Amino acid sequence: MDWIAFSLLNGIIYGLLLFMVSAGLTLIFGMMGVLNFAHASFYMLGAYFAYSLQGVVGFVPAIVGATLLAGLVGAGVERWFLRRVHRYGHAHELLLTFGLSFVIAELIKLFFGNYPVDYRIPRSLDVAAFVLGQQQYPAYRLLMGAVALAMFAAIYLLLTRTRVGIVVRSAIYKPRMVEALGHNVQLVFMGVFGVGAALAGLAGAIAGAFYTTSPNMALEVGVMVFVVVVVGGLGSLGGAMLASLLIGVLTSLAVGVDRSAADLLAFLGARDWAEGVGGLLTLKLSSLAATLPFALMLLILLLRPSGLMGDKD
Amino acid sequence: MRTPFILTGVALLAALPLLVSAGLLNASVQMLIAALFACAYSLLAGRAGMLSFGHAAYFGVGAFATVHAMNALGGSGLLPTPLLPLVGAVAGLAFGLVAGWFATQRSGTVFAMITLAMAELLHALAPQLKGWFGGESGVSSMRMPAWGFDFGSTTQVYYLALAWVLMALAALYFHSRTPLGRLTLALRENPHRLRFLGYDMHGLGVSAFALSAMFSGIAGALQVISNESANYAVFDAGVSAGVVLNCFIGGVGSFLGPALGAALMTFFGYSVSDQTQVWLLYQGMLFVLVMMYMPDGLTGLVSATASLVRRHGFARVLPLGLCGGAAAVLVAAAVVFGVEMLQRLFSQDYRALARLSAGPPPIALFGRSWTASALFTWLVPAGLLAAGGLLGWGAARRLRALSPASATDDEKHASSSESTPESTPVLGLSEQVRA
Amino acid sequence: MKKTRLASAALPALLLLAAGAQAAPVKIGMVETLSGPQASSGQAYRAGVRYAIDRLNAAGGWNGEPVQLLEYDNQGGPSGASDKLKAAISDGVQIIVQGASSAIGGQITEDVRKYNLRNPGKEVVYINVGAEALELTGEKCNFHHFRFAGNADVRVQALVKAMKENKSLGTKVYAINQNYSWGQDMEKATVQNAAAGGYQVVEKTLHDVNKIQDFAPYVSKISASGAETVMTGNWSNDLLLMMKASKAAGLKAHFATVFLDQPGNISNAGDLAVGHYVAHVFNAEASGAEGDRFVADYTARIGHAPVFVEPQTVFGLEMVADALKRTKPVNGALDVNAFAKTLEGTRLKTPGGEISVRAADHQALMPMVVSVVSKDARYKADGTAFGFKPVKAFTGEEASTPAQASCKMQRPD
Repeated sequence: MDWIAFSLLNGIIYGLLLFMVSAGLTLIFGMMGVLNFAHASFYMLGAYFAYSLQGVVGFVPAIVGATLLAGLVGAGVERWFLRRVHRYGHAHELLLTFGLSFVIAELIKLFFGNYPVDYRIPRSLDVAAFVLGQQQYPAYRLLMGAVALAMFAAIYLLLTRTRVGIVVRSAIYKPRMVEALGHNVQLVFMGVFGVGAALAGLAGAIAGAFYTTSPNMALEVGVMVFVVVVVGGLGSLGGAMLASLLIGVLTSLAVGVDRSAADLLAFLGARDWAEGVGGLLTLKLSSLAATLPFALMLLILLLRPSGLMGDKD
Repeated sequence: MRTPFILTGVALLAALPLLVSAGLLNASVQMLIAALFACAYSLLAGRAGMLSFGHAAYFGVGAFATVHAMNALGGSGLLPTPLLPLVGAVAGLAFGLVAGWFATQRSGTVFAMITLAMAELLHALAPQLKGWFGGESGVSSMRMPAWGFDFGSTTQVYYLALAWVLMALAALYFHSRTPLGRLTLALRENPHRLRFLGYDMHGLGVSAFALSAMFSGIAGALQVISNESANYAVFDAGVSAGVVLNCFIGGVGSFLGPALGAALMTFFGYSVSDQTQVWLLYQGMLFVLVMMYMPDGLTGLVSATASLVRRHGFARVLPLGLCGGAAAVLVAAAVVFGVEMLQRLFSQDYRALARLSAGPPPIALFGRSWTASALFTWLVPAGLLAAGGLLGWGAARRLRALSPASATDDEKHASSSESTPESTPVLGLSEQVRA
Repeated sequence: MKKTRLASAALPALLLLAAGAQAAPVKIGMVETLSGPQASSGQAYRAGVRYAIDRLNAAGGWNGEPVQLLEYDNQGGPSGASDKLKAAISDGVQIIVQGASSAIGGQITEDVRKYNLRNPGKEVVYINVGAEALELTGEKCNFHHFRFAGNADVRVQALVKAMKENKSLGTKVYAINQNYSWGQDMEKATVQNAAAGGYQVVEKTLHDVNKIQDFAPYVSKISASGAETVMTGNWSNDLLLMMKASKAAGLKAHFATVFLDQPGNISNAGDLAVGHYVAHVFNAEASGAEGDRFVADYTARIGHAPVFVEPQTVFGLEMVADALKRTKPVNGALDVNAFAKTLEGTRLKTPGGEISVRAADHQALMPMVVSVVSKDARYKADGTAFGFKPVKAFTGEEASTPAQASCKMQRPD
């Protein structure tokens, strides 16, 4: 039963990491209706900024610096690129962010090269938290989870308990009215975009040290983040948390299951027929682990398109 | 006025094998296929207003159906090689009907996400289903002779592709003239009113989706006939994104706009990828710039220029055009120079060689040797940028003088909303031009 | 397309203009993945090819003229590769070189076969310097294809023999691979060598390619199985992430890999890679003075030491150069069929050892070295304190595995 405990723990931590990256995206979408294809690029930028700063200022200041820098880049992107394209419609915004994702990835390859860079956890943090069965559990993973939870708490409190939060939430809901009331909605948009990008940058800075930091980071995480946002409900923070945990645990547990649909049908005595048909029925769940989130996404879209916790309209 | 243009265009395309080398001819086949795919996509996204982000799925389904048909039937009997794209059409239509039935029940972002999810699911499952998709080396086949042709040379494949693409474009144009095509347009313009007039919205949506998928399937089939193999890489999100970009770069305001955009971008990728390692950066920059400054795509540029010429005459607009063009070329040259220098300076090997030798080694670029530390090396792009900037500023001032800013915007939006319900201009020149 | 610095385009053009003598320089076309996510491998192959062609031209080229190298970017996929192959052929290329992906290799070998079928007398030949899927010298074997790289069988056999000899193999082996032809070949090879290696394959896992960020669940499975060695063909992120996850979990098993020497792996993994094994074609420390000379020359010209796929690319092209030297021009041009027959019988001593080509399936018998990551290695990797210390070196014959029965090569006789 060790592996179930491990899988659950791994799944939860991986889900929390996904949450860190997708929190920003779901806020940005909820606010501006822009599905930002370049969001995963901010994740990658955060990792590379932290790598560049690590040699100069040390690990923790590098992470803080990377977060701020990613936020600045995000605010700049909103101010100079997205704002101009906003009036042409959603398709143009989407395509612009898509083009930006290319530009950012290629610029990173230009300056840092094609191979993964040497961005690692400092020795002091590279310890085991506890031992379960025969395996150690690294403390850094728990740290990642803790940061994600702290981030969730901070954003939630910010949005619900502060003045700024009220303005942001109403600007999401009724931007014209808020503008009429005298608030600078443009600034709010820019701020939310910047904060969303900063969150992704923080996730990148923290995760890049544990996983690899390479120019393909954005591609790896990018699609999964979309699945999380869609499954959780566009614009819903709680939904993003729920969806990321669900996807993290699902992928983690599926890896341990070496059974296929044919095995299931064996209970009905139809194993031979299933194996004769082949194809989908004989695929093991463990080799489909990374495909499951898409199936989940499609299911949610068809049955409950507003997502698990999105607004029903 | 339109018919001579079209006839000249077709004649030029027909004469192409005599004018270009075999390598470029093959690139032309790919350009034709991309053009058809973009026009098929434009039927759904441009006319019906439903942005699909997973259109590669229908292209791919058409491709795989065709390659299996090629292997099964050997290019003889009922389906000789020239008729194989019909298999792609039928497969695309069937899959499009099923997928469209589910997807068109929602609209807007949810619709886009559904199409994206379907394409990604297919992309993720395809490598696992080896029987149908052949794993990562794909399914390969061979073109068989038929009707007296052996289809061994690129020229014959080119003519086959040209014939099919022209027929498909004609069919798409015909569709836009039928009542069904008009109703599809109405789906984008005013869905509320359409519903109140009693039309079946869902059915119309499905028809648009299925027809778009059918023509995408034909494009996929043509690619298989040209490459003689199909690989699951065809379901990649990049292919779906590519067709959206091609379509919008060309401009959805006209019928042939997407075809032009697709042809240009395919040619860009084909030719520039061999010249430089950072061509994806240039492509990304191009996307961003087009989205920001040419939101209506090339079609918009052509019609804006045409309206300027109409109002002020060719003589006054020509210097503006030349100025703007020169500015664009100079700025592009500056950017290219700067990026290429940076790429070489920051590459690992250069840095290693620099550490080994005394000073920074010279970099060979554009047939000349440049020293990184010399001021002149950086003056060149700076100078080009300054010159381009000046020219561009001059051109912008002249443009503003010719047409006050508010009037241009209103005119653009007025003409676009007037012209689209009446007809879809073929080349971006609306009906008024004929007067 | 870019032309190599040493090739002067003017010379062949002048010669073409000269009436009568139609000496056509040989054009070698490299169709590689030079951009996009997998660009790092393509650029490594390009470095090796450029080095080898420069040396060939420094030694006099072919038929008195320099050999021209034309580079094409396949834009990351098989359909782009197919397009660029056609462009290369229309540019007059007669020798195609490629290595970065088995999927692209499969596309190119099929396209070359079909082109040669349709254009007898104007054949082209495909020199494969890296696509290691077994089918390329199996069902898809082709007279006009030569593979100068290993394959799953060869790599696993070398790893098993070497690790068994130095007692680090153990009796329980876990096979984890990517779920595509290469990974499946590796898994089959691991199972086939179980009897000879005296181990039991405790479990086999196939996972999605380049999609998994978090290998912790897989590491849990490995640790639960009690395996002492993990045999894997993973490359790039899949290998690095798996190793990092295994270190984080405190897994004690050795990794027996094929692509551990990919640049970026050691710098990223650092000391957690120590004690893991790799089977590669060249290790300078095992090759004496010849190896040192090769490394020094390569570093001086290219900027870094030849690692990963570069040595096999250079050796493969040196074989090509040797065969070219012994192929007489026919009407001033290269007769590809004659060249292929000469290449079939070529034996060459390279800094890594002697290489020969097996005529039955055109698989080159490449020497193989099994190395372990250690602090004591003479040549350090990625600028870190660690390098690859050779454990056992095999000659081409020792490392080879028999030709596959599925290869039925059609010869143009």
